Amino acid sequence: MDFLRPTSWRDALEAKAHHPDATPIAGGTDVMVEINFDHRRPTSLLDLTGIDELASWSEHGGKLRIGAGLPYTRLIDELGDRLPGLAIAARTVGSPQIRNRGTLGGNLASASPAGDGHPPLLASGAEVEVESVRGTRLLPVEEFFTGVKRHALASDELISAVHIAPATGAQQFSKIGTRNAMVIAVCTFAIALHPERQRVGTGLGSAAPTPLRAIEAEEFLSGELADSGQWDSPRPLDDSVVRQFGDLVARAASPIDDVRSTADYRTHALGVMARRTLGWVWDEYRNHPSSTGRPECA
Amino acid sequence: MDTRIELRVDGEQRSLTVDTRTTLLDALRERLGVTTPKKGCDHGQCGSCTVLLDGRRATTCLALAVAHAGSEITTAAGLADGEELHPVARAFLEHDGLQCGYCTPGQICSAVGMLDEAEAGWPSSVTEHGEGGAALDESELDDEEIRERMSGNLCRCGAYANIVTAIREAANGSGR
Amino acid sequence: MTTAEESMLRANAIGTPLTRLDGTEKVTGTAPYAVEHPVDSPAHLHPLQAAIALGRATGIDTSAAEAEPGVLAVLTHANAPRLASTGNGELEILQSGEVGYRGQFLGGVIAETPEIARRAADLIRVHYERYEHDVELRADRDDLYKPEQVNPAFDTDTAQGDADGALASAAVTLDATYSTPMEHNNPMEPHATIACWTDGELTLHDSTQGVYWTQAAVAPLFELDQQQVRVISPHVGGGFGSKGIPHPNVVLAAMAARLVPGRPVKFPLTRQQMFSVVGYRTPTIQHVRLGADEQGRLSAITLDVVEQTAKVKEFAEQTAIPTRTMYAAPHRRTSHRLAALDTPVPTWMRAPGECPGMFGPEVAMDEMALACGLDPIEFRVRNEPETDPESGLPFSSRNLVACLREGARRFGWHDRDPRPGTRRHGEWLVGTGVAASTYPVFAMPGSQATIRATPDGRYAVRIGAVDIGTGTWTALTQIAADALEVSVGEVDLEIGSTTLPTASGAGGSSGINSWGSPIVAAARTLRARLDEHGGTVPAEGVEATEGMPDNPHTSQYAMHSFGAQFAEVWVNADTGEVSVPRLLGIFAAGRIINARTGRSQLLGGMTMGLSMALHEESVLDPRFGHVVNHDLAEYHIATNADVGSLEVDWLDEHDPYVNPMGSKGIGELGITGTAAAITNAAYHATGIRVRELPLHPDKFLR
Repeated sequence: MDFLRPTSWRDALEAKAHHPDATPIAGGTDVMVEINFDHRRPTSLLDLTGIDELASWSEHGGKLRIGAGLPYTRLIDELGDRLPGLAIAARTVGSPQIRNRGTLGGNLASASPAGDGHPPLLASGAEVEVESVRGTRLLPVEEFFTGVKRHALASDELISAVHIAPATGAQQFSKIGTRNAMVIAVCTFAIALHPERQRVGTGLGSAAPTPLRAIEAEEFLSGELADSGQWDSPRPLDDSVVRQFGDLVARAASPIDDVRSTADYRTHALGVMARRTLGWVWDEYRNHPSSTGRPECA
Repeated sequence: MDTRIELRVDGEQRSLTVDTRTTLLDALRERLGVTTPKKGCDHGQCGSCTVLLDGRRATTCLALAVAHAGSEITTAAGLADGEELHPVARAFLEHDGLQCGYCTPGQICSAVGMLDEAEAGWPSSVTEHGEGGAALDESELDDEEIRERMSGNLCRCGAYANIVTAIREAANGSGR
Repeated sequence: MTTAEESMLRANAIGTPLTRLDGTEKVTGTAPYAVEHPVDSPAHLHPLQAAIALGRATGIDTSAAEAEPGVLAVLTHANAPRLASTGNGELEILQSGEVGYRGQFLGGVIAETPEIARRAADLIRVHYERYEHDVELRADRDDLYKPEQVNPAFDTDTAQGDADGALASAAVTLDATYSTPMEHNNPMEPHATIACWTDGELTLHDSTQGVYWTQAAVAPLFELDQQQVRVISPHVGGGFGSKGIPHPNVVLAAMAARLVPGRPVKFPLTRQQMFSVVGYRTPTIQHVRLGADEQGRLSAITLDVVEQTAKVKEFAEQTAIPTRTMYAAPHRRTSHRLAALDTPVPTWMRAPGECPGMFGPEVAMDEMALACGLDPIEFRVRNEPETDPESGLPFSSRNLVACLREGARRFGWHDRDPRPGTRRHGEWLVGTGVAASTYPVFAMPGSQATIRATPDGRYAVRIGAVDIGTGTWTALTQIAADALEVSVGEVDLEIGSTTLPTASGAGGSSGINSWGSPIVAAARTLRARLDEHGGTVPAEGVEATEGMPDNPHTSQYAMHSFGAQFAEVWVNADTGEVSVPRLLGIFAAGRIINARTGRSQLLGGMTMGLSMALHEESVLDPRFGHVVNHDLAEYHIATNADVGSLEVDWLDEHDPYVNPMGSKGIGELGITGTAAAITNAAYHATGIRVRELPLHPDKFLR
């Protein structure tokens, strides 16, 4: 197995162009499992940890650009105030040791339907920046996932960054697993309020072959809120609205039975999580229409 | 393919040859005879192989040795100051935060790394979100926080209750 | 003749919370476990495992593996050493190409590095003839059979009175079926061996619960005398039964080492390999029937258990055993039936028999108490037997009722509202539950201890015992010190090798009972000899060796430990998620040798019991015969965050009949009853009675 260790992004792209079968590795928390378990025997590894710029973030044009190699712990610590939904999700990824090394870019490349970071990206309308020696593309995150552990990267492309707007309204994330920590999700749900464009964003994990948005639920709730003028003068939501939102989220899912749980349970739980997180974000929006904090909740 | 690398392990400069497929854990155990980090799952799930890698806790089974040439590694053995045990190790001994001892070096490295993280205010998934995001106030490192922050280290003997006590005591003892 | 009271050891060091004598090495990670022993130029073994569940390897092409640089040898049934036939189908591997279960060893590669061995093993091509396999346990199978006895040597079935008749005429009856899943031991240290042949003799650095058990199993396979196999194991990273009797990995390592004589061969199993070759707890299906009168006095108890064994070797879990001892009833019956499957061989897992066997019946007792309108503690007290229900023997000591009462007081049970599903904390339903614990007092024959006093005032105590995390190093030192009437600082204990006097293994919570008794006997002999020397140690030293003394009381008394466990459980009303914020265990287990390590044993048992209740389940895919969730990401054991407040205490129990230490054994008691207490509390929280472990969230959604 060859080991390529570029020290600049340009060299990394050149290396990937010359070795399209090379497996990129950053924190190693996904790739190493595959190697240790013989699920993958790459002919060469492309180590991206020597590229400092990949582990940094910046802000321009009102958007955050998060380098693909930024470890979760730094994301949580440095961007948690501006990306609360993603930070809440990131705090449940793997274990503390894994969060110290694991990266958003790495988990995107693995494209697991259970990746905890993916639903908040969907809810926030994030874009994935991918690059090759041929140039740069920006992909909406829902176009990035193409199947179970499959993504839209060409063989010479690398993920360079994720572009995401700082929260303008409340955001939440909920995860159900069969133990209290270090758990691959039975299912996850993320919600983000976007008051500036009067939209609600959603993201579902472990609910289908790919992470996905519940578009009908988003349309329904955005419409309800706009029609009733609630963005400007928020009131407690009608139970029927909350229930309908939960039902539409559950309906968006096409889960399976596996060792972690059943399809029926997942469908049920997604509805519960949708109602629960909607309650949290709406309470927060009513109390602090412009803040992004999390209410005190269990 | 073999590569020559240097590592600084428990304060000692070490030079070794590794296969590019060799994990940092195997490099330590099989090439350098440093068996303090333990192998339990090859998967980052048990935490037995935890060391402080350039100051932060990390599972060495998920790290490639070649990717960490030149790094600084502290194992549970290297935490001791000569004959004097590290306060966290001493607390584990005093509160019997171990039984078979196999997960113990990883638990202790993890605890030391965790206390640093807590001191830096890093939130965990049980830290409450306040205004402007979540950060841990040092005084809030209660048992629930310790349990969550130590959940990357499995113990099959079931010493968790004593591990939490040991860490709480060590944290208090260091003036926290 | 001395009475039981007179022969009891006076406690001085015993009972104190001495910190672990091996603790410093363990907290610094310098205590050497099996494959960590430094050896010169080790070779490395990677196994070849069957990819089918039943059939025959018709051809194994090893040419590509052999051509890999760094490969020393490739082992298959074609070149494997012939083993003597000992009737152990689990250990007699590589004698043909037959495959009896998926994952069975078919060979291995011995190479200069672990990476080369693994890579080369992957290059081996195996052609199979497949037979139709059968791996599904169901209670309605028509081929269930009655084993001759159940582990280790209990009657398969027992019956007294007319249970069916009593059930037919009982005022209150319960008829329910409970189940526990396949579970894997998963000690943190994977099974690991260094094997080396020199001059026709075999040395094994092995992770084992019994150095002499490993010797006894391995020597005859290779047609060696016992002393030609040396087994060394000073520190063991947990076993929980799976390192009790050796598994095929030890045999494969020894076979591989035969191909490279003089070179030590290292063979640590991976976590994934452990799911197919080192045993597991059988799934159990427990049919319980109880009958009682209007006052809640049991007239009938029956338990019929169905479980699995492997076709390659029988293991019959003794699941119905605790039911034979727990409660009084004139009419009673227990039975065990097995399905022999094309699966790996089940084995001991922490409290085999008692652990699963205290799930169904203890949940049934909760259901029956409700049916009788009684508090579950009162119901148990009302059915407390005066003598052992089946044997009629008096108990050497039995303090179940005292444990229940003390636990109730400490837990705050007295004002408990028995109605289920009526307490809420936000979206969480809150309940409390109780269950009993029990474990027999075992002592194994055959151990010997040698103690040597030297003029420098030291006492060398030698016995081939092991420490799998239980605290043997510390507890035996305390026992020796008290038996010698010296301080612990004057005692030098040696354990963990077959170069030491013979000893039984760590199993059945019998270690301290079985090793402590000969140490006490040897100490008493040594002191008598020292007296002959006028109390001074002659220059050449004084030595005494004694075996396990006969205990006449074992046939006169029923000897068991008991306990009571209390759980507070929260179940999320919307999602069914289960959380256990509080557990309390009160035990009566004779004298606790070391208050610190003993407490850890009981805490550890309860923690594993919580893990069993909430998480553990090995999912066997019937299409392929393998465990799907064969790693620690998918086979969940409790994490630190799953354990809330966990308290343990014990009653001062005086039992002069069990042994001179007055100890009953505590390694397994703590895991019995935990899952039932949690399940009963979950019912109290929700009103939903779950009878199948584990308590996954989907089971609490109506």
